[in-house]
Amino acid sequence: MSTFHIPFGPQHPALEESISFTFEVEGERVVSVKPRLGYMHRGIEKLAEGRTYSQNTHLVERVCGICSQAHSICFSQAVEEIISIEIPTRAKYMRTVMAELERVQNHLLWLGITAHEMGFQTLFMYTWRDREVVLDLVEAITGKRVNYGINTIGGMRRDLTTDLIRQIFKGLKKLEERANYYKKVCTSESTILSRTIDVGVLTQRDASTLSAVGPTVRASGIKRDIRADDPYAAYDELSFNVITYYGCDVASRLWVRIDELFESMNIINEALTNLPNGDVRVKVPKDVIEGESLNRVEAPRGENIHYLRSDGTERPYRLKIRAPTLANILALCEMFTDMNIADVPVVIAGIDPCIACAERITFIDIGRKNRWIWNREELRRYSQKWYF
Amino acid sequence: MISKTWRNQWFKEKTLALKLQNNYRPFIKISPIDLKEAVKQLVKDEEFTHIITITGIDIGSEVELIYHLSFGRSVLSLRTMVPKDNPTLPSIIDILPGASIYEREVRDLLGVEFDGNSDLTKLLLPDEWPKDVHPLKREWNYERLKKRLEDT
Repeated sequence: MSTFHIPFGPQHPALEESISFTFEVEGERVVSVKPRLGYMHRGIEKLAEGRTYSQNTHLVERVCGICSQAHSICFSQAVEEIISIEIPTRAKYMRTVMAELERVQNHLLWLGITAHEMGFQTLFMYTWRDREVVLDLVEAITGKRVNYGINTIGGMRRDLTTDLIRQIFKGLKKLEERANYYKKVCTSESTILSRTIDVGVLTQRDASTLSAVGPTVRASGIKRDIRADDPYAAYDELSFNVITYYGCDVASRLWVRIDELFESMNIINEALTNLPNGDVRVKVPKDVIEGESLNRVEAPRGENIHYLRSDGTERPYRLKIRAPTLANILALCEMFTDMNIADVPVVIAGIDPCIACAERITFIDIGRKNRWIWNREELRRYSQKWYF
Repeated sequence: MISKTWRNQWFKEKTLALKLQNNYRPFIKISPIDLKEAVKQLVKDEEFTHIITITGIDIGSEVELIYHLSFGRSVLSLRTMVPKDNPTLPSIIDILPGASIYEREVRDLLGVEFDGNSDLTKLLLPDEWPKDVHPLKREWNYERLKKRLEDT
């Protein structure tokens, strides 16, 4: 087997991965920024054309290690729509539960990273410790901590037992307690407030014209959430609020995600309390009839899109994936404008990119015609020193 | 929020083919010269202002481009074909600035040029990548691509 990879695929989000920005700065102020992507391209869309549909449910999970459930739900739904198969209601509820567990672990992970970028190491340690509670739950349900592999075309590969449901309720109780604590910390702790309020502003207008998605757009006062706008799985049968804040800054992005933790946990509670009985899977044919389908789900980071075209064989003719981070890149560049260099890390973290680490950032000082390059660690240290 | 714009008089005249995936997912085929006007029509009443992405597909002698625009629950897909030997389309970034990153993506992977987009630099492919190789084109299979990259 050749290990050659074609550099093509969705800009995909996974932590500590590479993206490069060139900032044009005037003294401390950022004038403009130019992103350069592509360091993480593995050619997943091209690869998908050579794999069967059942192999692809596992391949698309690898687009992102953190929102893998969002990708496999989206892909499975696209196939199910083409072959006109309705999955059992129990499977729909289970997909919802898994998607929300994923959202809880993603938001906790994100909160930790943002705290780390601010130099608030204690909060980072706390959130990552609590994230283990969710990871233990998904491991108990699926057998894996990430890339769960529980979705399949036609439903779920494993069922939930009463014992597991009891375990989830127990875990949620603990997480809710911790989420209350985080809410208190993030709305009152002065270190956090001074680093986030009015930092990285994205106006409602810009958020809309640049077609941003997810918590980023909801923190700029736009009520856009695929779960409510275009319900899939069991979301139309469950009640939840779409959280919006109007601060348009990193603080609002923080509060949106913390409030979403509560909403997600309520959804899981409601879904498990009303979990219907029955099968979790229907048999599907190996070949998919000719057709096309566009499907979208709300991943933890925002709208996730899969466009699938089939040609009657067992492999897709074309699979197009648009992960949420790519949609937020232009909005991110807008946030940088007129900002301090010291705020760069926390603003990058603010959109929750998986490519959170700007691998190499080049600075050009217009006044002194200087040019220098920092790696992410140097930039983080500089930003913390600047604020002390 | 179901839009009626795409059923208006202009679209009645210009639509070459209409396909419904379901009630909220119309696929409308139009000619490349009408593309820009079609986007204008859809955006004018503050309706389809959110561009999701642009899908490019190599279908043999032509490249098929699908512009996915969303409004509330609906996703409208504008489909248009350009010849593969000279794929050029007008850019829509003056109407929808969010499209710029997707135009660059399609240019990298399928070689479609967008008139009016001043920044069509590489987005996804490496800097040293050969100019005439667009990896999503069907003639580039692994072996051929591997050989070409080793030669350069």
